[in-house]
Amino acid sequence: MSELHASLIDTPILAVALTLAAYLGGIHLFERMGRPSWCPAVLIGAVLTAASLWLLRYDYADYQRNVTWLTLLLGPATVALAVPLYQQRQHIFALWKPILCCLPLAAALAALYAVLIAWLLGAPPDVLASLAPKSVTAPLAMGIIEQIGGSLSLMLGGLLITGVLTTIFVSLLARLLKIDDKRLLGFALGVNGHAIGIVRAFELGPTAGAFASLGMSLTGIFTALFLPLVWRLFGL
Amino acid sequence: MKLLRGFLWLLGFQLLGHAVVELLSLPVSHAMAGLLLLLGWLLAKRRLNESVATASQALIPLLAMLIMPGVVGVFFVIDEFAGHWTAIMVALGVGTFLSVLTTLWLMRRFMPREAANADERERQP
Repeated sequence: MSELHASLIDTPILAVALTLAAYLGGIHLFERMGRPSWCPAVLIGAVLTAASLWLLRYDYADYQRNVTWLTLLLGPATVALAVPLYQQRQHIFALWKPILCCLPLAAALAALYAVLIAWLLGAPPDVLASLAPKSVTAPLAMGIIEQIGGSLSLMLGGLLITGVLTTIFVSLLARLLKIDDKRLLGFALGVNGHAIGIVRAFELGPTAGAFASLGMSLTGIFTALFLPLVWRLFGL
Repeated sequence: MKLLRGFLWLLGFQLLGHAVVELLSLPVSHAMAGLLLLLGWLLAKRRLNESVATASQALIPLLAMLIMPGVVGVFFVIDEFAGHWTAIMVALGVGTFLSVLTTLWLMRRFMPREAANADERERQP
């Protein structure tokens, strides 16, 4: 029995099957709960995965090693993000001036505020590095973490929280500042709240959705290009 | 076959990105470099290869599933970052509030008014 357990734990097939099952279960529960914006399907899937790992006495390090067979696809899936970006080129060409004025500053501040606050509260460098890419879409943020160090899991947790908070704050501030321009709201959702913001933006309409995707892609690329450089300059 | 051909294109660009990053020792990830190279290639060719489009449509919806194993790790690092959780939560909460506020303010300042907005059009000559 314990031999069977050991050999099942050892095969990547179990790790892959577990991941797919937990993800599909997460999506199912998410739909059943009425698609709550405060609890993304990925989070439910992650809870289900963690619970099964614990039940199976499956060490997280072993799971991580075995599931690489699946997550290897993250590389080509990231490269594939060039396609939607290419398809949005008209938006970029038409609005290059406001985008050039706003995007670099907005993306830089999204990282800077969090890092500065955490630093003032005495967080160590690896926590700062994990918080810095908090508004970047996960596949690109994982590339940034490779460059600047920090904890992958903490970074992804921060990413989820940032995404959820962005949807809440954008609705709140839109009401307070009386902004109803869908392009603006979409862009703010994408720049700050990556993929979770995009989901919310598409609920506001296709224009908001398109601008959110644009904001997310450009923020991701800008941050991935400059954050490691800045990190190196400051010798962190 | 279109899917496979497109997948091979994506792998090719990732490998190209890998080579460029290592040769020039750039501080970006291999996949990120691959993304930029593919984007540059598409912009230069001004035409989207059908097989690349097929493969990207198949892969992009999987992104959330592909990052999930990393998210699972959060539950296993709770102890590792004990004592820093207040700083982390305050940084995420206040930081996100400020950055949403700044983005909205910047966009309102620089974005040209929407043409479809009827009452605005009346005021503007």
